[in-house]
Amino acid sequence: MTFNAHGVRVGVRVSERSALERVLERLPPGWKPARSPIVSRLYSLVVGGDGPRPGLRRFNLLYGDAARLARSREVGEVLEAFETNLQLYVAEMAPRRLFVHAGVVGWRGQAVLIPGRSFTGKTTLVAALVKAGATYYSDEYAVLDARGRVHPYARPLGIREHGALQRATKYPVSTLGGRAGSKPLPVGLVIVSEYKAGARWRPRRLSPGKGALALLAHTVSARRQPGAALHTLQQLISRAPVLKSVRGEVEQVVEFVVKTFGDR
Amino acid sequence: MPDTSEHFLPQARRDGILFQAIDDEVIVYDTERHKAHCLNQTAARVWEHCDGQTTVADVARRLAREFEAPVDQTAVWLAVEQLQKARLLADAPRRPTGLSRRELLKRLGVAAAVALPLVTTIRTPAAAQGASCAAQGELCGPSAGGLPCCPDLPCGQIGGAGDCVCVPPLTKFFPC
Repeated sequence: MTFNAHGVRVGVRVSERSALERVLERLPPGWKPARSPIVSRLYSLVVGGDGPRPGLRRFNLLYGDAARLARSREVGEVLEAFETNLQLYVAEMAPRRLFVHAGVVGWRGQAVLIPGRSFTGKTTLVAALVKAGATYYSDEYAVLDARGRVHPYARPLGIREHGALQRATKYPVSTLGGRAGSKPLPVGLVIVSEYKAGARWRPRRLSPGKGALALLAHTVSARRQPGAALHTLQQLISRAPVLKSVRGEVEQVVEFVVKTFGDR
Repeated sequence: MPDTSEHFLPQARRDGILFQAIDDEVIVYDTERHKAHCLNQTAARVWEHCDGQTTVADVARRLAREFEAPVDQTAVWLAVEQLQKARLLADAPRRPTGLSRRELLKRLGVAAAVALPLVTTIRTPAAAQGASCAAQGELCGPSAGGLPCCPDLPCGQIGGAGDCVCVPPLTKFFPC
């Protein structure tokens, strides 16, 4: 099968038809089937299954073009690697979108961006804001167009309840009592924050240049298309303040956002 | 300033450089080193005047006209030094003034009429760093298309064979 995700055309082939359904569940939000067989990357999933002798299982293999990307006896692990690799590939190659590693929610027609590395508490903050009434946009990437507007990338939230010791559990936004956004929004606020136990939320506004630098540090295609990245971030920064502070519990930040944008 | 630096003509590097003005600041992207630099207004103005034909004293005079305030040569030297450190100048001597940054700051004192020049630098991430990380026991590195492990978890092969996984603490492993 071939599909289009954010302007990137990708193909997937599987050795067993039954695996295709599980592949479809792993495609990036917003994908659409494509008619053309010409793709910029072809993934091949070889399902292992039972080996020649009882109790022996063949490896499941994943290839991206000719390179082997993953090998495991657990098909779930290989699918996980497929999802991550595909997501990253689309994020890096998308021709008209800029992907910033960030959580995003919508509030009163404006988006709040929370860029950051893994384990800085992005998803926790996004989940808390959704519970407080925000519209869910993403817990992984802020997908920006050339005007600096953010588009929805509403995959289920990956919440790690036991830190790095356990895989993230996926929660559809509806389980948090929230709903996902469907329209692009202008960015109203950027929060550069990191969880630190016991810390107080005391935001200070970064200069526009330093704010752009803070976003560039989390931009997936910064090295591949720096010119486009700088242009898009300039558009975003010209409208949205960038605030920076460590934070303790999420309530402080949620309260701040509610005060900034007004109660819903 | 020492004699050796009087005729120093700083020249901004143009090859492998992209830049974008954002308000008064300028973001300069070095495509060779994959570093992005934020130049504050003073540093940005100095960088713009580094054309290889203008002395530091002349740059200071031009800035004074633009800012409509006195600009000490030392402020320009401070900017030149930072631009040089960030490799945004072409073929400049290592330390043109022979003075350390601390000495330059001391010389400038606190009475500068314009903001002190400041260059802030980051290294931009490789694409794989823009994804969520792999948890304990999950495939990582070459076994997962370059995906890094979450903080404090090494990516390794347990027993020296098989897939690369994020290794639990206190477990023996071979690096991938």
